[in-house]
Amino acid sequence: MKAARIVLVVVGVLVIAFGASVLVTSVSPKRIGGLAAWLLGAVILHDAILSPFVVGAGLLLRRAGRSLRAWVLVVVQAAIVLGSVLALVVLPEIAAKRHGQKNPTVLPFDYGTRLLIVEGVLLLVVVAVLVVGVVRARRSVVRGSQTTG
Amino acid sequence: MRDAEGDDAREGQDSDDRSHDGETGTRTDGGGRSDGTQSVAHGPSRLAGVRHLLFEARAALASPNRNARSAVVLGRLLGLAFVVCFGTGIYSHLLQEPLGWMRFPTRPTQLYQFTQGLHITTGIAIIPLLLAKLNTVMPALVQVPPVRGVLHLFERLSIAVLVSASIIQVTTGLLNTYQWYPWPFPFRQVHNAMAYVIIGSLVIHIAAKLPVIARYWRKRDSYDEQGRFIADPASGSELLPPTREARPASAPQAAVAETAGSTAPGLLGRVFRWIDGVDEVAAQPAADTAEPTRASRSVDERAQGRRQRIARRGFFGGVTAAVVGVVALTAGQSSKLAEPFNVFGARQRGLGANGLPVNRTARAAGVLASATAADWTLTVVGPDVTRTFVRAELVALGTTEVDLPISCVEGWSQMATWKGIRMRDLLGAVQAEPGSHVRVTSLERHGGYRIMDMGPEYAEDPTTLVALELNGSTLDLDHGFPARVIAPGRPGVLQTKWIEKIEVLR
Repeated sequence: MKAARIVLVVVGVLVIAFGASVLVTSVSPKRIGGLAAWLLGAVILHDAILSPFVVGAGLLLRRAGRSLRAWVLVVVQAAIVLGSVLALVVLPEIAAKRHGQKNPTVLPFDYGTRLLIVEGVLLLVVVAVLVVGVVRARRSVVRGSQTTG
Repeated sequence: MRDAEGDDAREGQDSDDRSHDGETGTRTDGGGRSDGTQSVAHGPSRLAGVRHLLFEARAALASPNRNARSAVVLGRLLGLAFVVCFGTGIYSHLLQEPLGWMRFPTRPTQLYQFTQGLHITTGIAIIPLLLAKLNTVMPALVQVPPVRGVLHLFERLSIAVLVSASIIQVTTGLLNTYQWYPWPFPFRQVHNAMAYVIIGSLVIHIAAKLPVIARYWRKRDSYDEQGRFIADPASGSELLPPTREARPASAPQAAVAETAGSTAPGLLGRVFRWIDGVDEVAAQPAADTAEPTRASRSVDERAQGRRQRIARRGFFGGVTAAVVGVVALTAGQSSKLAEPFNVFGARQRGLGANGLPVNRTARAAGVLASATAADWTLTVVGPDVTRTFVRAELVALGTTEVDLPISCVEGWSQMATWKGIRMRDLLGAVQAEPGSHVRVTSLERHGGYRIMDMGPEYAEDPTTLVALELNGSTLDLDHGFPARVIAPGRPGVLQTKWIEKIEVLR
């Protein structure tokens, strides 16, 4: 395994070096500075904004998980994840369209309305699942007290 | 997402000396709590505060999804997706900037439509996969100690490069499909160079993690019969429960206090008591003080396994929903199959002049006057003969109808019916040698694609046309009127519009 790892590291370093040379030969130094700023920004965005947000959402779900049934939690969680990813993809699309289309066939839809509708549907699913979950939990509690009482 | 309470239970185990503990599968049992208080670590006191903070962060991040097996599973998918994007991306790049000796396949005619559609669709699928992977390995972000040596420093740097380059690559690629470029660097060159940086740092990452990948490659080696994750310190994973690494002296007591639900100090302790429910934890078998019986322990294990399984399935269910959802709602721009679900695609098939979307309009290209001029002619320059054709003379050469797709580098594509004169007939009219390269010039005044070179594989192909009609009517001005090139298997930017000259190069 050690030999394989060494070979992989050497190959990786060579490929990175090639990428760097492609970058230096095809992009002017002034603009590479701009790229460096964006690369650094990506790390900061992830470590300082995205991660804490995800951790917070996860902890809230964990708190909710105490009083919810597993399948309810799984559906709610899937809806939140899908809704977040769609927002992440479509919000820039809305911004791009606001920034100006090159012609009417580029970004032809009303993405804001469409995103609201899809997120609304996801919200409805979440609410429906929560209601069903709570009702079922209550019923089983009632049934349980009847059999014992 | 529901976390096993075993995470807290594991807090109380052992000191930082890993070597003396040989067992692997039974670490999450409640019995471990009994020796929690006796574990006094020999961590350096100066950095204790920082380390304590890191440990608390790790405890907050502990989750059944954030383990080495999940990282391996997501890493495999993500690695595959990166390789697909890299291969299709390099293919697209070489089509646009070929090395002199290169020849490309012209069949199937939809090859580029397929490869570039795959490139964009896979790139979009990478967004949720990358987020899932970053979420899974988050505890490694706050690992203790942060740096273990020179090699470890380089490894963490290579991961920083991999992560930031991947985020930039995915972001710029996505915004490119929206034709929005809000960054201070050229898109295509940077996207191309970063592809190598990503693949290179990915290979280094695989090298660094090879023992972990091998250890957790198979499911049956990763979970015990109860479905609990097997934490194996020998694998070198940085995603093991906190007890598997060095810890500050104060942590075990705090952890025990937290699990007992009594007097854990600090805000974090209070937050976690609220999250995990003090009563619930306290109601568990009194594992802190007494050794549990064999029976209660196995019940505990099964419950833990069940909780971990549900958490993992919920997590992967969410990731699957996100990948399927985001792909299905956008892939309609490049796939007929997904067309009915095209909710968020950047293009709508069939929308535009001649029933086809437009990338560069005649106005944007500055050809409104020159392309509509009554005296337009097409000049064909052969090795010895030069001929000019008015539109009627072109038609007199004999027209052919072909079905070829327009496939844009930005991912959208659509099949269309073209009618025009075969390129090889035009070349024959000026006695070009077989195997000639061809240069086509557009009426555009500027722009990177005003001049387009075409290898003999395209020039001689019977489906390569100088097209005059599109989908049954005269070529729209925005689609290249009076004449444009259409060839099989090439990116849209090389299907030159508003052409005025064709030269035989050699």
